[in-house]
Amino acid sequence: MSPGPMRLRVLVVLALRNLRRQLRRTVLTASAMVIGGILLIFSVSLGDGTHEQWIESGVRLGSGHVSIERPEYRLSRRIEDRLPPAVREAAEAAMRSPEVAGNVVATSAKLRISGLASSAAGARPVEIAAVDPPLEADYGMVDDQLVEGRYLEADDRLAACVGAALADSLGLRLGSRFVVQAQDAAGDIAGQLLRVVGIYRSGVPEVDQTLLHMPLATAGAWLGSEASVTGFGVLLNESAATGRVQAHLEDALAEPVARGVVRVMSWRESEPALAAAITIDDFGNYLMQGLLFLIIGFGIVNTVLMSVMYRRREFGVLQALGLTPRQTGAVVMIEGLTLTAASGLLGAVLGVIVTWGFFGDGLDMTAMMQNMDEMTFSGVLVDPVVIPLFSTTRLIQITAFILVMGIVASLYPAFRAARIDVAEAMKFER
Amino acid sequence: MQRAPWWRIGWRNLGRNRRRTVLTAMGLAVGYCSVVFMVGWAGGITAELVENATGLVSGQIEIHDAGYRPDRSLYDTIGGRDGADFESLLATITRDSAVVAAAPRVFAGGLVSSGEATSAGILMGVAPRRETVVSRFLDPLVSGRLPEPGANEVVIGEEMARQLGVAEGGEVVVVGSAADGSMANDLYTVAGMFRTGLAEFDAATLVMPIGDLQTLLVLDPARIHEIAVATGDPATATTTAARLAGALGAEARGLDVAPWPELNPVLSEYVSLADSMYWIFIVIIFAVASFGIANTMLMATFERRREFAVLLALGATPASVVASVLGEAVAIGAVSVAVGAALILPPMAWLHAAPLNLDWLYGNVTLQGALLTPSLRIEPNIPAWTWATVGLVLTALLAALYPAVRAARVPPADTLSGV
Repeated sequence: MSPGPMRLRVLVVLALRNLRRQLRRTVLTASAMVIGGILLIFSVSLGDGTHEQWIESGVRLGSGHVSIERPEYRLSRRIEDRLPPAVREAAEAAMRSPEVAGNVVATSAKLRISGLASSAAGARPVEIAAVDPPLEADYGMVDDQLVEGRYLEADDRLAACVGAALADSLGLRLGSRFVVQAQDAAGDIAGQLLRVVGIYRSGVPEVDQTLLHMPLATAGAWLGSEASVTGFGVLLNESAATGRVQAHLEDALAEPVARGVVRVMSWRESEPALAAAITIDDFGNYLMQGLLFLIIGFGIVNTVLMSVMYRRREFGVLQALGLTPRQTGAVVMIEGLTLTAASGLLGAVLGVIVTWGFFGDGLDMTAMMQNMDEMTFSGVLVDPVVIPLFSTTRLIQITAFILVMGIVASLYPAFRAARIDVAEAMKFER
Repeated sequence: MQRAPWWRIGWRNLGRNRRRTVLTAMGLAVGYCSVVFMVGWAGGITAELVENATGLVSGQIEIHDAGYRPDRSLYDTIGGRDGADFESLLATITRDSAVVAAAPRVFAGGLVSSGEATSAGILMGVAPRRETVVSRFLDPLVSGRLPEPGANEVVIGEEMARQLGVAEGGEVVVVGSAADGSMANDLYTVAGMFRTGLAEFDAATLVMPIGDLQTLLVLDPARIHEIAVATGDPATATTTAARLAGALGAEARGLDVAPWPELNPVLSEYVSLADSMYWIFIVIIFAVASFGIANTMLMATFERRREFAVLLALGATPASVVASVLGEAVAIGAVSVAVGAALILPPMAWLHAAPLNLDWLYGNVTLQGALLTPSLRIEPNIPAWTWATVGLVLTALLAALYPAVRAARVPPADTLSGV
């Protein structure tokens, strides 16, 4: 039988009155929950903010939040597996459509192959990215990380931007000439003379030692690949839009995808090491948060259970006066849930205020990471300034988590209250 | 009066409300278990990172010509252009008791082709039998065997083999620039393949016997770029390196003896940062746990107002009442430690001996170039675990202070007359 509105009001009053009567106990238990809520919001928003930065820097160095390439290219990395030009045009058109245009920050079309760079000082394996200079300046980070010279320009021919470590190991300076050799579209080894116009430093050793940028037009003539590219990438304003843009691109390219000449990938597929880095970091955070709330949970079970044990007589009287065991349990349930939900949500709100108020512009951990400002995690530079990220999904998840915890922690005490033996509870007058 | 009774009273009080004691102790025990687990897991991560950074490919100590790093030029060989008697250097190094083994290496860049496909790669010349003692990447191989010197045999990374479409027994052409300025090229048989899990290394490394690479590059047999040294314990690499530098007369010979913290300073910083992070774990977990214990003690003392009033009326000092409440807190802390340790230490020992495979959850990651495989490995950290134990008992004591003081201030007359 369900309690009527009148009855329910009585149950709520009974529950709340008890919280008020035991004010000190309520405040102590609530404090643990408030602190838990603050810590939860703080760690989740900073964790998400960190990951968003990793993703952003990973995809700008790599192939984009969403990228397309031939299915074979991922494994072969060969120049033969280039995108058909029609596919690239279709993809570019799809990115201009109003449904996704708001999320698209920039697009990039690159020919990426491996080769050997040699100078008088030696030879090094390199990753050659042949780019459309104006497009790439909007998309990538190389142009923002120049330490010397300039980035590639639209009418450059024999120009190259090289990493600082690569320049060092080949003894290159601004204006130096060097030769790159790679396999061309016909399968022969071909060489090309380039001149250093810019030297960049990303802080990621793997990149600074290997990656060089050169104009796509020069590479097309050198390798016989003309204007075709191996990959097309899209940079988005937020990683949360990845799934939607990927689906949109898959729709637009439905025909070539079905024929198996092109594959649409999210950054999780194209940067598996980055996805793994985020998973392990999340895993650690969730574990920590889970354990924290387990400890808080024991505190809450204890408090609510104690309040049940102290009020055996009260519950005995209530049941003698006609409250069903289920309603008695409901009083306890309401008490526990009110306590956890109110304090947990207060903690969450305080957490948002504290995190946003103090660290909205970024939590600077430079002091903690001294000498480590260039640490890389799965090929992504870890930025010591973390900007917290809040999302509706996360806030809903956190609220649900707090409510579920309140329910779980109140279950056993409610069960005990429901099972009180009326006669036994009222037997002694003390 | 003896001091003992107050602690005994505290202990006895735990039994008064068993369920409450059990719940409070569980909260603390879970806190203790989480600290032990998180500290052990973080320790496992840093231990694996350091092991992989210093044992997979690189050595714990690397010896180069003073001018070799960071350019890594082909010409900067140990002992300059004339080379050095590296066998005697190796003998001096291995005479040090902390050194397990040492191996010579030669490096160069080159193109590796098979049929239509070409990859650019690092050519690495090693002394195979010595190398497998210093580093782990050639032992075991994924397939095949180590290359025989003088037989034009190589081993290559599994990913490079796949990109070149070449299998064990297949042939590759290696092209590079020789030390005399000529074009170096030769045909080699793939004797085997290795896999480190470091994607870039596996895609771009070709290993051959050191003499064969010297022949290809027209380098004198006395010229090598690096001596990689394995020591028993990565933690002592820095002191061992200093000792080796002295034994080798590094300064006079123009040698650079670098331990791994110098080769990878950022990773070394990360390891010390991770160590200091333990404190944050311990403080947060116990701060939250202290609310639970404060609450319980407050209720327990409130419940026993009459008992304290009687004690005080009979002549017990307020200090002894405080002692009995604190005794109760210490007892509950001790019980929690015992329960927590009994619960967590066996799985910790298990995960230390047999790390749990987590590859269904995530793939390989690298931190500052050091490989971290998806496994849940625990590395015991006795100092941090001891601090967690001390911290738990201290938490219980601190949380019980306020309830204890309140208990000592119970007004005997009012409390007893009010009934």
